[in-house]
Amino acid sequence: MGSTPSYAGLAQDRRFRLLKTRFRRLALGIVVSFLSWYFLYILLSVFARDLMSRPLAGTVNVALLLGVLQFVSTFALAWRYTRYARRMLDPLSRQLREEAERQQAETERIEQIMAQRRRIEAWTPAPRRARHRRTSGGVR
Amino acid sequence: MSEGRLLTFGLFVAFILITLAITFWARATTRNAEDFYAGGRAFSGPQNGLALAGDYMSAASFLGIAGLIALSGYDGFLYSIGFLVAWLLTLLLVELMRNAGRFTMADVLSHRVRRQPRVRTAAVISTVTVSVFYLVAQMVGAGALVSLLLGLSGGTAKAVTIVVVGAIMIFYVAFGGMKGTTWVQIIKAILLMTGTVVLTALVLARFGFNVSDILAAAARASGRTDYLHPGGGFAKEVAGDPVRTLINKLDFISLALALVLGTAGLPHIVSRFFTVPDARAARTSVNWAIGLVGVFYLMTLALGFGATALVGQARIAAADPSGNTAALQLAYVLGEGLGGPVGGDLLLAFVGAVAFATILAVVSGLVMASSTSLAHDYFGHVLMFGRPRESQEVAVARLSALVIGLLAVVLAVVARHQNVAFLVALAFAMAASANLPAIVLTLFWKRFNSAGVVAGVYGGLGACLLLVALSPVVSGKTDPVTGAGLSLLPPGIDFHVFPMENPGLVSIPFGFLCAWLGTLLSREKADRERYDDLAVRSLTGSGSHAQRQ
Repeated sequence: MGSTPSYAGLAQDRRFRLLKTRFRRLALGIVVSFLSWYFLYILLSVFARDLMSRPLAGTVNVALLLGVLQFVSTFALAWRYTRYARRMLDPLSRQLREEAERQQAETERIEQIMAQRRRIEAWTPAPRRARHRRTSGGVR
Repeated sequence: MSEGRLLTFGLFVAFILITLAITFWARATTRNAEDFYAGGRAFSGPQNGLALAGDYMSAASFLGIAGLIALSGYDGFLYSIGFLVAWLLTLLLVELMRNAGRFTMADVLSHRVRRQPRVRTAAVISTVTVSVFYLVAQMVGAGALVSLLLGLSGGTAKAVTIVVVGAIMIFYVAFGGMKGTTWVQIIKAILLMTGTVVLTALVLARFGFNVSDILAAAARASGRTDYLHPGGGFAKEVAGDPVRTLINKLDFISLALALVLGTAGLPHIVSRFFTVPDARAARTSVNWAIGLVGVFYLMTLALGFGATALVGQARIAAADPSGNTAALQLAYVLGEGLGGPVGGDLLLAFVGAVAFATILAVVSGLVMASSTSLAHDYFGHVLMFGRPRESQEVAVARLSALVIGLLAVVLAVVARHQNVAFLVALAFAMAASANLPAIVLTLFWKRFNSAGVVAGVYGGLGACLLLVALSPVVSGKTDPVTGAGLSLLPPGIDFHVFPMENPGLVSIPFGFLCAWLGTLLSREKADRERYDDLAVRSLTGSGSHAQRQ
């Protein structure tokens, strides 16, 4: 794991902060709305049974209608999240990802060059070259 | 065996042969860890969505909820709503987890912490515990169901069934890996949806597509005035005992909480986030799952009410007191209405095969998730310090599938006469109390650290297990009329202290509390850079594990 690259540098980027704020606001909104709606429904089923048993049309009562509405709201929230993510999150995250990967490729390229340079230096160690120069100087 | 049973048996064998062929193909095309753990990350969003739905819709929800609705009316419906709404939380977390992890939940949890081995070990323990509990519930159910479908009776038949189901499941996972398992899920999901659509259409056609008529007929057949009202099955009001009434109500709220928060932490669901090429495909797959699961649970309403209206509660309860056979009996009645006894046998055999496929698929998903966790997290990262040979790790994963599978078979054979349906709800409660706090805080809390993860996972898991052990599920629950024991242990033993059967209401907040306190009490400082790195990775997908070409 130690050799995996770090993308922490981008965390301070203005666009990343915007992406983070947008995602968190969206996620919080959805969590609060579906949990409160779900628990309202559960609490009504448990504590307000007379209200829930009231018939609406034929044999369909409030409880059944609210239950089916839970399905509808789940589909609607999933659709809303997906639509928002496509429009407001995906373009931003793609832009940042491409930039991060470009930077990463650049870093890797520089590291490769540095490694190559180190290798070349290791093949011809400085002291021996100096000695060689000195001896050749002596001959001259 | 009668002709109908021979047909059922023939369909079982056909399903097994087809899936085994797929498993052999998957074995031949599995070359590395990416293939074995994540199916090469090559599944499309819709394919993985079908597989997610396949992993999720267990026999407990197909047969169990239909039976619950048939016997207790409206209250069975409350269960399915919890099962569906939970997917919204999964939808919000799926992309972040897909981006941040490689194969398992532990990959996500250990990314930013300083003490990786401890965090990984905690995640492995929780993954394996949740999976094994869920597995035992499914396999005991399988034993009962399959022996019923084939007309076998007695403890030996159940034990043999459990062993056969276990052997097939181990084979799927050990040979086919994630690729094979995913295809089994996809086929099962298609079969299950087809079966449910056919039954629903037939029920609706019987009543001239008038929903109100079905409800009226069901309410009439049940002979109860409160059949369509809340309170028929759960959170019963006990006359003259307000304390008991309140406890019953809180118990139900506790169950609802576990259902809605547990799904996103179920190991076999999480391991499916990594089988797609990128986060967008992961989102698509969860959206597909929401659509499939939602439509499926709406249809279980028709099955449940239809069973009461057409079969009758007395016959359903006579075949199985918890109503697990309601959907099967309904299939027979509907088929009989179309083509006499032959039609009945045909439809019953088909629905029976669907139920069988459902069981096999769900148990293999669970074994897959826990063996991945054991091999990748425990062997690869804890024992081998993250530097195992890939081939070695995959070999360990295949072996782990055998070990987990055998463990589940042995436990299920021992518990085959017990009513272990509560284990399903317990698995959800454990996932919500142990896994969810760790996942959420890892992704969103800057200060969270290794001690917090470890405390949260062990705290939540331990609280769940302890509370259930001290609950009326394990000891001290007797039938008020007959005095017969309703707990796991015989009637004479009673050490129950905790009044509720579902621990979620206490254990989920306790899991979060432990994670928070563990973080604050330890001297370890969070690694800011790694947290920033995780935030960037999870939201943008930079450096995520992509599909290998």
